[in-house]
Amino acid sequence: MLEARDLRKSFGALTVTNRVSLEVARGERRVLLGPNGAGKTTLFNLLVGELRADGGQILIDGRDVTGLSVDARARLGLARSYQKNNLFGGLTVRENLSLAAACAQGRARTPWADSLSDRGVAEAVDEVAQRVGLTELLEVPVDTVPYGARRRLEVGLALAARPRVLLMDEPTSGIGPGGIHAFHALLRGLPAELTIVIVEHDMDLAFEVADRVTVLNYGEVVFDGPPREARDSALVREIYLGTWDGDA
Amino acid sequence: MFHQTPLKTATVLLLAGLAVAYGLSTGFFGLELLTEVAILAILAIALDLVAGYGGMISLCHGALYGVGAYAFGSATVLLGWGAPAGLAMAVGGGALFAWAIGAVTARTHGIFFIMATLAFGQMAYAYLFESPVFGGNDGLPGVPRLDASALGLDLNDSLTFALTCLALALLAYAVSAALLRSGFGRTLVGIRANEARMRVLGLPVWRHKAAAFGVSGALAGLAGALAAQHTMYISPGLLHWTVSGELLIMVILGGLGTLVGAALGAGVLVFLKHEVSRFTDHWHLVVGLVLIAAVLAGGRGLYGQLEHLWERRRAARRAPPETPAPDEETTGHA
Ligand SMILES: Nc1ncnc2c1ncn2[C@@H]1O[C@H](COP(=O)(O)OP(=O)(O)OP(=O)(O)O)[C@@H](O)[C@H]1O
Ligand SMILES: [Mg+2]
Repeated sequence: MLEARDLRKSFGALTVTNRVSLEVARGERRVLLGPNGAGKTTLFNLLVGELRADGGQILIDGRDVTGLSVDARARLGLARSYQKNNLFGGLTVRENLSLAAACAQGRARTPWADSLSDRGVAEAVDEVAQRVGLTELLEVPVDTVPYGARRRLEVGLALAARPRVLLMDEPTSGIGPGGIHAFHALLRGLPAELTIVIVEHDMDLAFEVADRVTVLNYGEVVFDGPPREARDSALVREIYLGTWDGDA
Repeated sequence: MFHQTPLKTATVLLLAGLAVAYGLSTGFFGLELLTEVAILAILAIALDLVAGYGGMISLCHGALYGVGAYAFGSATVLLGWGAPAGLAMAVGGGALFAWAIGAVTARTHGIFFIMATLAFGQMAYAYLFESPVFGGNDGLPGVPRLDASALGLDLNDSLTFALTCLALALLAYAVSAALLRSGFGRTLVGIRANEARMRVLGLPVWRHKAAAFGVSGALAGLAGALAAQHTMYISPGLLHWTVSGELLIMVILGGLGTLVGAALGAGVLVFLKHEVSRFTDHWHLVVGLVLIAAVLAGGRGLYGQLEHLWERRRAARRAPPETPAPDEETTGHA
């Protein structure tokens, strides 16, 4: 479904993505691990096209998209959420979700019908709001909702895009145990055919939801396999020594 | 996002009513002023569409206006076409030129966008200034007005012409308001709020920006065609960047991103200029001071300020003051 072949990216002398290859199957839940600065976010930027790779290939559904623009890749069903909230400031939660839903439903460019009051868009907005627990806050400007809600909206925007492949960059960062629990439930409720890659620091979540785990270190894939093997891998333990106490 | 609120509708109707009343009660000179206001209101609405809602602060709207005027002037004077064809040329020419500028500049932002639009505008100005075909610096005299006798209108009559321009300003407002309430307009606001995210959601952003610029250019072209008919004479001065600058002042003075404020700003600035210049040659200074005051007072502009006060009063009436609800969760690190 989503494949990277030999991806490379350097910033000056710093190689941030070093011959990364990975293949994520349709419907798979892949967790991407790695210490700070390992190149996880950069890999996402390369996959969605916000950064141009220095070398290598990216394929969606077997189709080479390396030369495609960010928006063209998105139209093939690729969506992402950000580690740092990246919302539509000054607009309400509903307006935020509507913008995403309208794009997904081809309502974003109609010069006649209003996308905000469009039935299909409104239904999608309500559904996503329900999923991420924002129903109560739909009419509130995003700048005034609590941080946790903004974090959920960040994921909500990606979901409202109706993706086939969803990349989530540390969706649970800074939301506390309650939020993490709710996020578990959200993940379990997503359609089985949706392909998901999650960057996650929370090991328990990672090992619970992952079909497969990929570990990045210094821009290189140092491990790729089932979660159980990752747990037992001496290398992975070493990389996470200090941040993870093994079989917690 | 744009909403045609009751306050907006009331302001539009009030302004239109005032303008008509003024037109019916004033003499020739007043009608000249009124016509100028109506034409500049169309142009200011065109600018607010892209600047206020799309975040594209353009300094080439004077040039788009001038291109409209020259398209109308050259179609009628040089080619001898009828005024309706000239009008179509002006609207189409303005749209096409603007679309091209929009397409080329869509990937630039902030000061670079402003400079790029300025450059395009000044190129058009310089071209017409030096082009012998279009009369160079002298421009083209003898531009005719549209023959609307089929509708029972004599546009050579000052009052009729002024009211026609006013009606077209209302039409420009209605078209812009409708566009801003469409999916296209919502997305335009999304681009202003967060262009990169819009792209990640699958929107071909540059095409959207170029299209918005094109629509704005069509309106500017219409305003240009009216200006050419108003003075029956065109010159490169119409395209000069100072026209664009003054236009931006009107929009900011009236309220950037409010649409009706743009029209209000056009009216206030034209009349202010006229009144002040009766007493002193330094009207620029006065206008400058007014603008500085407007910006320092919160930058909402006249209509924006009115809306702000209105909303606050309504909010106060709806919910009597109480202790604010505490944040339901401790916010994490960003
Ligand atoms: N635009 C850039 N220019 C220069 N260096 C960059 C740029 N973006 C990222 N880097 C560097 O690349 C390295 C990898 O960054 P990246 O954000 O991909 O890491 P990460 O794995 O997401 O880390 P974290 O867990 O902290 O989010 C870091 O050393 C970072 O400083
Ligand atoms: Mg990161």
